Amino acid sequence: MSSDPSTTLDRTGLSPPAFPKIRVRGLGKRFQVGKAWVEAIKAIDLDVQAGEFICIVGPSGCGKTTLLRILADLEAPTEGEVTIEQSDPSNPLSSMIFQESSILPWMSIRRNVAYGLELRGVPAAEIDKSVDRFLALTGLDRFADAYPHQLSGGMKQRASVARAFANNPEILLMDEPFAALDEQNKALLQEELLRIWSETRKTVIFITHSIDEALVLGDRVIVMSRRPGRLKTEFKIDFPRPRRVYDLKANPEFGRIGREIWTLLREEVVGP
Amino acid sequence: MTVQARSLVQITAPRQTGPTLLDRMRRSSLLMAILAPLAILIVWECLTRVGLLDQRFFPAPSSIIVSLFALVESGRVFIDAAWTIGRMLVGFVFGAVPGIVFGIMLGLSPTVRAFLQPVIAALYPVPKIALFPLIMMIFGIGEASKWAIVAIAVFFQVFYSTLAGVVNIDRIYLDVASNFKATRWQLCRTIAIPGALPFIFTGCQLGIGMALVIVVIAENFGTQVGLGYLIWQSWQVFEVRDMFVYLLMVSLLGYGSQMAILRLQRAVIPWKKDDAG
Repeated sequence: MSSDPSTTLDRTGLSPPAFPKIRVRGLGKRFQVGKAWVEAIKAIDLDVQAGEFICIVGPSGCGKTTLLRILADLEAPTEGEVTIEQSDPSNPLSSMIFQESSILPWMSIRRNVAYGLELRGVPAAEIDKSVDRFLALTGLDRFADAYPHQLSGGMKQRASVARAFANNPEILLMDEPFAALDEQNKALLQEELLRIWSETRKTVIFITHSIDEALVLGDRVIVMSRRPGRLKTEFKIDFPRPRRVYDLKANPEFGRIGREIWTLLREEVVGP
Repeated sequence: MTVQARSLVQITAPRQTGPTLLDRMRRSSLLMAILAPLAILIVWECLTRVGLLDQRFFPAPSSIIVSLFALVESGRVFIDAAWTIGRMLVGFVFGAVPGIVFGIMLGLSPTVRAFLQPVIAALYPVPKIALFPLIMMIFGIGEASKWAIVAIAVFFQVFYSTLAGVVNIDRIYLDVASNFKATRWQLCRTIAIPGALPFIFTGCQLGIGMALVIVVIAENFGTQVGLGYLIWQSWQVFEVRDMFVYLLMVSLLGYGSQMAILRLQRAVIPWKKDDAG
């Protein structure tokens, strides 16, 4: 990837102290649908500091996932550039947690969580240590040897979270990972994610269509416009951590910011 | 104010009674499975006894059983069965392995697919046994030509199933591999092969069935051993009772090989939700 001069995703070894973990400049992506060109995202500028938890909310079809897939190097942008600062060259740049179940059905939960580390040829003892840690953190230690079909949807997403964190990437990219879960599982997993994140202090970009979820999780919430997706407004979220989902929802400030974001989003969904 | 209920619907658990003999018989799948063949044999026996079936072509099952015991006692049929099994297996391996390899290569790479699929698709409709004279010219009339014709037939079955298996792998798993920076070989090993395995086994089941068909025909040429040879031989000497015994053995061989692959499949694919059948 870095050897290909045409790609705009750079790895920068050295960085001035003020340099952000992720810097996005003028990012755009056009798709060809039949004969027409569709702009998925347009002119996106974004700086993310190391250890920050960023939530991006936007109307459906606004190009949120496209932005994330470009950051994950699963798709190439048509314009602009992404720079990700790599603090440790032996670590992978990013791991993604997908919306639908992406746990490999033919591997036990343990091997799923170890997947990234195994592909990189990490020594077995080190893999075991890391996998055990994240299985315990996600409450999956009892199911380590189960196959995914024996687990519920919530358990599978827990395994996805464990797999992404165990891989020890520079940044974590999450594409509505809890969207398919029921309310109770969603709240539980949000709290678990926050706990793991506070232990590891990874940089996270989390995409969601749920304003509540964004407010519960993020240090900053960025609102995207409808297609072509641009970053519209950003909110700094100062709720103290550790956060508990339902304590936070009882906070009047939570409701106030939530309504403000909804007013913005509403314009994007139904038009002004 | 009281509201009078017009009617009450009561649902009660049915009275618990032990299973009757008929219930138990219905539940025994083995019993149900042998019932129909047994009925056919009895009808067949009766029809030959009363002269409605021509004994020259359809000898009474009781007389076939007598031949069966005679042939089993001589032991010769087992050696012949072993030859047939050997030819099937060698041909199967030589066909299935390239079938899986090519299926995965074409499945993963649209370029390779565009390059090779037309050739394979053009060869596929040729009836495999029609190639046998050519195969015998190339490989001689010995064992090699039998292995080759079986391998060709097995290849197409396994190849097309594997290809379908790889192409049908959920895209999300390819994204996962790509996000975790899997190399080409890692992609094969951790995604393509396990993902396509259920299809590969279906291909192997079709393939082993095809292998038996082909080997029985091929054993008519250039050999003095094998169940296929014995069937053709009993045709030449008009020994119909023996022929039925050999046919029975071929059918058992077909059933047994299918079962073996099913067993293997269950051992190799522990993550499948349910094993039907």
